[in-house]
Amino acid sequence: MASNHLKWESKQLATWYFTFAAIIFGAQLLFGLIAAIQYVMPGFLFEIVDFSIARILHINALVVWMVFAMIGSVYWLLPDETGIETVGIKIGKLLFWVFAAAIVVVVLVYLLVQVGPADETTIWFITEGREYIEAPRWADIGIVVVVLGFIGNLYATGMKGKPTGIVTVLMADMLAFAGIYLAGMFFTDNISVDQFWWWWVIHLWVEATWEVFVGAIAAYGLITMIGAHRKVVEMWLWIEVAMLFGSGILGMGHHYFWIGTPEYWWEIGALFSALEPLPLVAMFIHVLYDWGKQQGAAHQRGEEGSVITNKPAFTWFILQAFGNFLGAGVWGFFHTLPQVNLYTHGTQFTSAHGHLAFFGAYATILIGMMYVAIQGSNGIKVLKHTKSSIAAAWMIAGGVMGMTVALTIAGYVDVIVTRAQMGATWAGYFDGHSGMWMLQGMDWRLIMGVVTFLGFLFLIKDFLSTGKNAVHIR
Amino acid sequence: MANKSVWSDNRFWQRSAAWVTGFAAILLIWLTFDTSGQISMGSDADLKNGVTKRVPGPTVINYKITYEMDTKRGHEVPVIGAKEKFFGRDDYSEKEAGDLLHLGKLGSQAKNCMDCHTLLGNGAYYAPDLTKAWLDPAWESTGSMQAMTGKNTKEEAMAEFLQFPSKYPTHARMMPNLGITAAEAKGLVAFLKHMSSIDTNGFPRNFGKIQGALNGK
Amino acid sequence: MVEVLAVQPEIALNDFLPIFVSSALVIVFGGFYVGIYTAVKVGMLKKWAMPLAYLFWLLTAYCLYVMGSLMHVGDTTAKALVVAMIGYLLLPHAVYYMQHQVHEQNEH
Repeated sequence: MASNHLKWESKQLATWYFTFAAIIFGAQLLFGLIAAIQYVMPGFLFEIVDFSIARILHINALVVWMVFAMIGSVYWLLPDETGIETVGIKIGKLLFWVFAAAIVVVVLVYLLVQVGPADETTIWFITEGREYIEAPRWADIGIVVVVLGFIGNLYATGMKGKPTGIVTVLMADMLAFAGIYLAGMFFTDNISVDQFWWWWVIHLWVEATWEVFVGAIAAYGLITMIGAHRKVVEMWLWIEVAMLFGSGILGMGHHYFWIGTPEYWWEIGALFSALEPLPLVAMFIHVLYDWGKQQGAAHQRGEEGSVITNKPAFTWFILQAFGNFLGAGVWGFFHTLPQVNLYTHGTQFTSAHGHLAFFGAYATILIGMMYVAIQGSNGIKVLKHTKSSIAAAWMIAGGVMGMTVALTIAGYVDVIVTRAQMGATWAGYFDGHSGMWMLQGMDWRLIMGVVTFLGFLFLIKDFLSTGKNAVHIR
Repeated sequence: MANKSVWSDNRFWQRSAAWVTGFAAILLIWLTFDTSGQISMGSDADLKNGVTKRVPGPTVINYKITYEMDTKRGHEVPVIGAKEKFFGRDDYSEKEAGDLLHLGKLGSQAKNCMDCHTLLGNGAYYAPDLTKAWLDPAWESTGSMQAMTGKNTKEEAMAEFLQFPSKYPTHARMMPNLGITAAEAKGLVAFLKHMSSIDTNGFPRNFGKIQGALNGK
Repeated sequence: MVEVLAVQPEIALNDFLPIFVSSALVIVFGGFYVGIYTAVKVGMLKKWAMPLAYLFWLLTAYCLYVMGSLMHVGDTTAKALVVAMIGYLLLPHAVYYMQHQVHEQNEH
């Protein structure tokens, strides 16, 4: 990315983070494709890159690229918000290389070593074998050090410059985000205790701190892209924080229905996870409201055309509002109550929800931030759509939606056959997984996965070329 | 005309957000203390005295475990019964059983079990749920899996399968060879047996009742 | 140990699909309700669309009722669901009122 238009070093660093994030995003999709092929052709890469390895890389790459893009987003918006250069930018740049190198080593070990003997050395150097946070312990410690460095920069900058509402929310949120990771770093023989704390990391990330993070990013986007009023946006942000943390923290209960934890989590989980869609509705309405208000005000001033200064980014922000509502809201709500979750827990339904929620809530807005960075790096006043940016948005969003629908149909078979009829035994599992709807669902998931990947190629093409395109207003 | 209303005051919402977050966090921490007490592992004495723990001690491998409907709770619960031999013994000491469980739990992580299977319903969905795998009828003396391995007990059959999975394919989707040693396999089976004794509030429903005893119409 | 009162009733095989559909629709219709309400208020839609918003609220409430009865939720949960629906009816009014106030203060 050209950077001669960037007067802040912080934004320059942000583009490094975004670039690395985009590469890892590609890796996530590639390993996802391998896993999807294995559902259709189980012999594919058997005992070379087994499903477990493909899936580890698929979901770890997901977490890593999102964390990189999140850190990048913060470095990008800090100078705009605080009005000063990020404090400790040199350390920030050093930590970027440390972080990126560590990720490469972890990935190579996953891929080449794969598994180890049942002892502590495996946990320290190969894999911890806990879904999403398989990273071995040495990497855990490294990640904590790197993220603490990043948070140090954020705090120093926020306190030295102007701490706006957005920066204040980010400062609190990022500290919680990093602190929670510590809950996932120990070993215990008690699998119930293990999963209890494991959910502290996973749930309090994706259903609390990450959601608040995107709330803050959406607020920044609305101010910079459509000129929304800061006071209004920041008031919304505080209301969203209250709603998200108010429902999300205790919404943790919906993961404690069946892992050995007491029954009272049924009521707590049901109540708070029923509240969880509310902030998502609110965030959706917030975008609609500000957009309507700003566009209306512009028309009243007699201005023609759109108030949006970055069309592709705004498209992804709108997709985020929809996707968060659909993926986390609708697909989350329909299997969250314990009465139903007893049958849906750990089926292809969960997978359908996971795909649409991670994409809808996080991938979308982070891609949007990458477009914001492209606009800034190239000194463009109004960034417009190109053929590739439109194709990318349609194909990626359509592909993920298609995968979700396919997995939902497969999940329905899984629930009815594997669970309700057969009681979740080995034989029941394979009965469920050899039904016609399940098999066709998996075929369609693969096809839609390919569509998503092609959309990703368009996205990368657009990232690399749109900055030089003549259609934009400079 | 519009007076400064508290509802449109950023400070008010900032404080509200802080209070709501703080309150939710404190409630979660309080509940965590309560839950941690309830899910701490029981001891050998608990088992001998018939004290029901949500997560029994490792020496539960000395006993027979079944999964039965509890009418008062309205769902199935694991029931710990009489002594049962596990690899030929039913007198594992707390230390021996604890070591076996430790090895098995480490093995479950070192071999990335959770990235194909689900444990307590969490993990990947590419292979069967292992929560109550120990109680699966397929591994019983009349079951297809035990017959296939040619072993005489459930634990030996499971250990054999874990060591040489591709020798005993059941479906096109096979378990890969993960280099599991005989000792590790024994630990893993102990881990599975222990997991099946955890009180999971009735998950999975109707386990092992083929064709859904209650639903099959 | 605490006496356990929560009981998990069986869900009939044929009820799964209606449960999934109705619970998905709860959220979808709920979204339509606040969406249309807001769009009318900020002038993106004409005034006549407002009754449509309330119609969607009615559909939301109905779907929640269907879902709750098929799942056999208990008495307490049923009461909580009724309260939730009334709260949901009022929510966008309150939010819009607040937003309007902020705009008045800042732009006039």
